[in-house]
Amino acid sequence: MCWALDHDNLDPNRPIAIEDAYPIPHGEIGVEGGIVFNDRRQGTSQFTFQPQLLIGALPNTQLEISSDVMTDPNTVVGADKSGNLTVGMLYNFNTETLQVPAFAARVGLDFPTGVNAQGINTSLTGVMTRSFGQWRTHLNIGYTFLGVPQGQERSGTYRIVAAVSYPLGYPTSFRDTIIANIFTRQSDLVGQQNPTGVGIGIRHQVSSRVVFDSGLGTEFLGPPNRSTFFGTVGLSIGF
Amino acid sequence: MTLRRSVKYLPIIALFVAAVVHLGCTQFEQRDKRFYYRALWNFSLRENLKELDVEFNGVDFGHSNLYENLLLTGAKDVPAIEDRARNETLRFINSRPTLNPNEEAIAPTYMRLAWKAQNTFDEAHALHRGTYDVYASDLVDRESAIRKLLAYYQQSPYAITAKKLDHQALDALPYSKAFRKRFPLFNATIWSYHYLQVVVYDALSMAPDLPAKQKAVEPILKTYHDYLNRPPVEWEFMPLTDQYSPNFAKQYPEIANIFDNLHMMHDTISDILVSDLFPTWGEKHQEIYRVTRTYYWASGETTNPFIVRNADRHDPMKPTMQDGHSRH
Repeated sequence: MCWALDHDNLDPNRPIAIEDAYPIPHGEIGVEGGIVFNDRRQGTSQFTFQPQLLIGALPNTQLEISSDVMTDPNTVVGADKSGNLTVGMLYNFNTETLQVPAFAARVGLDFPTGVNAQGINTSLTGVMTRSFGQWRTHLNIGYTFLGVPQGQERSGTYRIVAAVSYPLGYPTSFRDTIIANIFTRQSDLVGQQNPTGVGIGIRHQVSSRVVFDSGLGTEFLGPPNRSTFFGTVGLSIGF
Repeated sequence: MTLRRSVKYLPIIALFVAAVVHLGCTQFEQRDKRFYYRALWNFSLRENLKELDVEFNGVDFGHSNLYENLLLTGAKDVPAIEDRARNETLRFINSRPTLNPNEEAIAPTYMRLAWKAQNTFDEAHALHRGTYDVYASDLVDRESAIRKLLAYYQQSPYAITAKKLDHQALDALPYSKAFRKRFPLFNATIWSYHYLQVVVYDALSMAPDLPAKQKAVEPILKTYHDYLNRPPVEWEFMPLTDQYSPNFAKQYPEIANIFDNLHMMHDTISDILVSDLFPTWGEKHQEIYRVTRTYYWASGETTNPFIVRNADRHDPMKPTMQDGHSRH
């Protein structure tokens, strides 16, 4: 029963890059935020603050407003410029049944309010969730169209993320969900290798309204400035 | 077109395919999960009457664990239900959970078999929780709060009818009583939860302040745990709201009807999951959805044959405490 924030409902970056096919319930409002530490193979390390507002505005539909604010913003390339305002919508087509996985679609508009940003970026993502007993598997396939690519930036990049999540503690505790993912995405600059890596994280229900999350990972393939280690902590609060 | 250019259009193609399948596939069901009524009194039970809240969190485990185990065992293995699954439930209750469990993690198969029925339970359970919060709070205008909760609940297409249903007739369907005959201990355990869920309203209502409310629930919890330890297999029918909280049932007959209908629906689904009349999961799914739509949802009221017209809550045909229940 939905008498507490659902820590099993996965949102992107809380704590790792995957989301499930389910929006927050109709009528719920959620505030999420986290800090990411990114240790790059070349270049300076970076911190990112990721505040996000979620609104269960319509049945099966979640609206979002978010922004990534980064240290060392002038070094950022690609769609996610520091300070850009992103408006998104996640629509769930169906709940999972014995025969059919759950499907959802995400649309995002990235407005150039950030440092060195130009043009509006558009992203489309297909989301699928399929359960096998208590294991839940998730697949996100997305593409981002850059409004105004700069320099060697690509005009668009794809990304694919696959993940599994599992409720820890069954059958005596239901406060924790562990998540692991593997991802690859097209490099932001032309001619570079795909950043490809793995991540693992946990979402822990602290109280009726608060979920704490923590995650870490690495990009084991990719361009010279790929992440050798990233770690994050965050909170989700439901109203 | 190169592979790289094709990849660019993959999400669009995927969305298109999903939309087409969505329109054409009867297996597609909307999730329709709705947030509870947002109010200042939310979580008053958790904050003020922790002892009782912990018990309700335990109760949340029971039905889901039962349904999942009935499905996975084919409802043939009596020790698997009466001993293993029931003891799992008692262990969870005895772990004194301070938050309600994630029922989709407890019963992933059942949720995928009958999501609409589960969502119906979820919304009615949220009404239960909301009313407990009102009774556990220091609200002066309790009546207005309860009316708001009821109005919000009844906006949902998943709302259970607030009209009195003929439970005796619903308990005489071809497969009725299948669960309690094969699994009397677990059935009595379920009825013990339902006892707890309905008995607290009048007890809390009559207590003037928080210490009195805390005192009022103590004997109820003792009785409840006695029932868990020695399930009342002699009961012939589920506990009804106006037996255990007559004042609440008189003041809010629609809500009392919803809760009794909710508990009856739990029994009906247990019987469907056990009955050999529906040997496959597909047939169980169809019957669960049929009874949910036809007999339990408010949207089916105009054609529902089980609605008691001109109902009197003190129906003489209704089983009384002398039929097997003792009041505490």
